[in-house]
Amino acid sequence: MLEFAISRWQTILKMTIDHFTIVVIAMIISIIAGVAVGVLITYKKSWANVILNVANILMTIPSLALFSILIPIMGIGRAPAIAGLVLYTQLPIVRNVYTGIVNIDPSIIEAANGMGLSKAKIMYKIKLPLAFPVIMAGIRTAAVMGIGIGAIAAYIGAGGLGEYIFQGINRGNDRMILIGAIMVSVITIIIDRGLGMVQRRFEI
Amino acid sequence: MIRFEKVVKKYNYQDKAAVDNLDLHINKGEICMLVGPSGCGKTTTMKMINKLIKATTGKIYINEMDIEKVDPIKLRLDIGYVIQDTGLFPHMTIAENIATVPMEKGWDRNKIRHRVDELLELMELDPEIYRDKKPKDLSGGQRQRVGVARALAADPPIMLMDEPFGALDPITRGKLQDEFLRLQEKIGKTIVFVTHDMDEAIKMGDKIAVMRDGKLVQFGTPNEILSNPADEFVSELIGGNGSLKIMNLIKCKDIMRSIPNIDVDNSVDEAMKLLLKLGVRNILVTDKGQGLLGYVNYDSLANHKATLKELLKPIGETVTPKTTLQDTLSKMFSLGRKTVFVSGSRGRVDGIITMDDLLKAVSDNDQSSDIIA
Amino acid sequence: MTKAQTSSLRLRDVLSILFIISIGVAFSIYVVQYPQDRIVERFISYSKIINAILQHLYIVAISSALALLTSVPLGIILTRPRFKKYSTKVLTVVNIGQTIPSLAIVALFVGFLGIGSKTAILALWIYSLLPILNNTLVGILSVEPSVIEAARGMGMPTKRILYKIELPLALPIIIAGIRTAVTINIGTAILAAFVGGGGLGDLIISGNNVSRWQILMLGATLPALMAILADIVFGVVERRTII
Repeated sequence: MLEFAISRWQTILKMTIDHFTIVVIAMIISIIAGVAVGVLITYKKSWANVILNVANILMTIPSLALFSILIPIMGIGRAPAIAGLVLYTQLPIVRNVYTGIVNIDPSIIEAANGMGLSKAKIMYKIKLPLAFPVIMAGIRTAAVMGIGIGAIAAYIGAGGLGEYIFQGINRGNDRMILIGAIMVSVITIIIDRGLGMVQRRFEI
Repeated sequence: MIRFEKVVKKYNYQDKAAVDNLDLHINKGEICMLVGPSGCGKTTTMKMINKLIKATTGKIYINEMDIEKVDPIKLRLDIGYVIQDTGLFPHMTIAENIATVPMEKGWDRNKIRHRVDELLELMELDPEIYRDKKPKDLSGGQRQRVGVARALAADPPIMLMDEPFGALDPITRGKLQDEFLRLQEKIGKTIVFVTHDMDEAIKMGDKIAVMRDGKLVQFGTPNEILSNPADEFVSELIGGNGSLKIMNLIKCKDIMRSIPNIDVDNSVDEAMKLLLKLGVRNILVTDKGQGLLGYVNYDSLANHKATLKELLKPIGETVTPKTTLQDTLSKMFSLGRKTVFVSGSRGRVDGIITMDDLLKAVSDNDQSSDIIA
Repeated sequence: MTKAQTSSLRLRDVLSILFIISIGVAFSIYVVQYPQDRIVERFISYSKIINAILQHLYIVAISSALALLTSVPLGIILTRPRFKKYSTKVLTVVNIGQTIPSLAIVALFVGFLGIGSKTAILALWIYSLLPILNNTLVGILSVEPSVIEAARGMGMPTKRILYKIELPLALPIIIAGIRTAVTINIGTAILAAFVGGGGLGDLIISGNNVSRWQILMLGATLPALMAILADIVFGVVERRTII
C-alpha cells in the first residue's frame, strides 16, 4: 500500500489540496456569516431562539441528505458543495458566538456602559474579545465537521479526498479507499489539535 | 450639583413605582449616601444620573443642565462609575482598564501613561508591578482599587459608586473605606454612593438619603439622622445602638478639655489651689525644660501627704484628636482607666477626655445636634 | 410526578413528531401517485419505499443496540477504581476517534472487510460506540464525589452505589450520548448503500443515476426526517431523565 501511495503521491496531493481549498472557502464564508448572525441575535433575543432552532435542525439532517437535496436546486459541482458546507457549519459558530457573548459577566458590560462606551465599541472591544475562546471553540468544531463533510461533498462533485474514496469504492480498489480514509482522518485530527492549541492560547 | 426634581421611575412589569416622586439635591464636593433595603430604589436612583436607566417623568439636572438633553455617551464619559463586582475588563491589563475613558476621549499616549501611573500610585499600587497585570492576578481589594482608579481616570467631577466595597471582607472593606475618605479629602469629588449598610453610610457620608419603597424617607447629615431618625424605619436601619454610632461620628478634638500644667517643683498645696481655681480634676506635671513628666489628679492630692514627684502618674497610652469617641472608649476599657489624654504634636498633650465627658457628649447629642456641623 | 411528566412530554413535541411523520408520508404518497415519468413509476412503489425504510432502520437499530450494549458496560468498567486511571486516556482516544469523519470510518472498514451490509453495520457500530462511551464516562465521572462519599458513609455497598447513585445521576448524559449516536447513525447509514448495505441511500444513488429529482429527494428527505424525529424523541427521553 505504501508503494501505491508513493506512486500516486501527485494525485493524492492534488486531491488533498482540492479538499482543503473547498473547506477553507466554505469556512471563511461560514465564519463571516456565523459571526454576523451570532452577533445580531444577541441584540434580538426573540430571534435567537428561532435561528438557533433552525440551525439545530439543519445540523441534524444527514450531510449526504442535505447535499442530495441541494442537487435539484443547485446542480452538482463546487458551488452546491460549498453552500452545503456553509449551511452545515453554521450551527456551531452561531451558537458559540451567541452563548459566548450572552454569558459574559453582566457587571463587565454594565461597567462599560456606565463608562460611556458606545454599543459598537462595547461589541468589538469588550464582548468579541471576551467571547473569543468560545467562538474559537465553535470554529474548531465547525472546521472539523467541515473536513469530514467535505469528503462526503465529493458525491456532488466537490472533488477532494472524498472523490478518491468514492472512486475506490466504485472500482473496488481497497488501496484507494484506505488512503483516502486515512488522509481525511489524519487531516481532521491535525486540524482539531492545531485549532485546539490556538483556542487554549486565547483563553483568559 | 446634582438635582432631582419630582423624578419617577416606573417599570412596565410593576404596579408600584421603583422611584416615586423623588426630590433630592446633592451639593458639589459632597459624598451623598443612598441607603435602604434592597428594592428601595437606591440603585435605580443612582443609575438615572448617568442614564443607564431613564427616568419615566421628572427632571434631573447636573450643574443646572437637564441631562435629558445630553447625549448619554458624552454624559457617562464625564461621570466616574464604580460597581460592586468591579466590572474590570478581564482581557485587558490594569493599565488598559484604567486608560479606557481617556482613550475614548482621545488623550495622547504619553498623557494617558502618566495618568495611569499617577492613579496607580494614588491607589497605593506600584505601577511597575501592577501596570501590566491582568485583573485575575489581583486580590479583591486591589481589584476594587483599580475599579476606583478607572473611574477617576479622566478626572470626572462626579462619581457614582454602587456598593463598591460590598463584596469585600470586613477588614479590607474598612481599610478601603478609610483610604477612600483620605482620597476624597484630596480630590473633593461629588459622589453618589449606594449602600445597604447604614454603618458604612454613617462612616462615609456627608449626607445620607434614606430610601424605602422608592420614596425618600429622610435626608440629612449622619448626625441628624442618628440623633433624630424620622420614623421607626430609620431607627430600625440604624439599629438599637444609635448612641454608640454617634460615638463614631464625634472626634476627640470635638469634646476634649484643655488641661493646665504645673512645674514639678511646686508643692502639693499649690497644685491643689490651681485645680480648685480652674475647676478641673487633673493637672499635668512638667519640669523646667518643658519636659512632660506625668500627671496628678485631685484624689491623690487630697489623700496623700507627699511631694508632687512622688504622686506622679505616667501619661500612658494616648489618643489623637482625630480618634473617634468609640475608639477612645474602647481604649479606656483596654487600659482600665477612666481618663485618657489626647496627644498633640511633638509629644505634647493637648487635652484630656474622661468617661463622664463621653457619656455627656452622647446624651447631649441625642437631644440636639451641632457638634460636628 | 404527573406534573413533571406532562411538562417533559410537551404538546409541542407531540405536534412536531406528527408533523414530521406526515411530511414523510405525504411526500412518499405524492411521488408514488404523481410520478414525474415512466422511469420514476418503475423505480418507486410503496413496497420499495417501505423496504428501504425497514432496511435503513435495521442497520441503524442493530448497530445502535450493539453500541449501547458494548459502550455502557465498558464505560462502567472504566470508571471503577481499578481502571479509573485509564479513563482519561480512553476519553482522549475517544475524542480523537469522534473527530474522524463518518465516510472515512466506513471507507476504512470497506478497505479491510470488503463491501456488504455486515461491513456497514460493523462500521456504524464502532462509530456510534464513541459518543455513548464518551458520555457514559463523562456522566459517571462528573457525579459529585461528596454524593458518593455520603452514600459510602451511610454503608451502601459499591454495587448499590453504582445502581442507585452513579447511573441514575449519569443517565441524562448517557441518553444524550445515545441521542447523538442514533442521529449520526441514521445519517451514516445512507453511506451503507454505497458499500452494498442497502437502505434509503439506494434511492439517492438510483435517483442520481437516472437523474430523477423525485427519487433523489425521497432518498434524501426520508432519512433527514428520520434523523430529526430521532433527535426529538430522544430529546424528550433525555428531559424526562433529568432529575
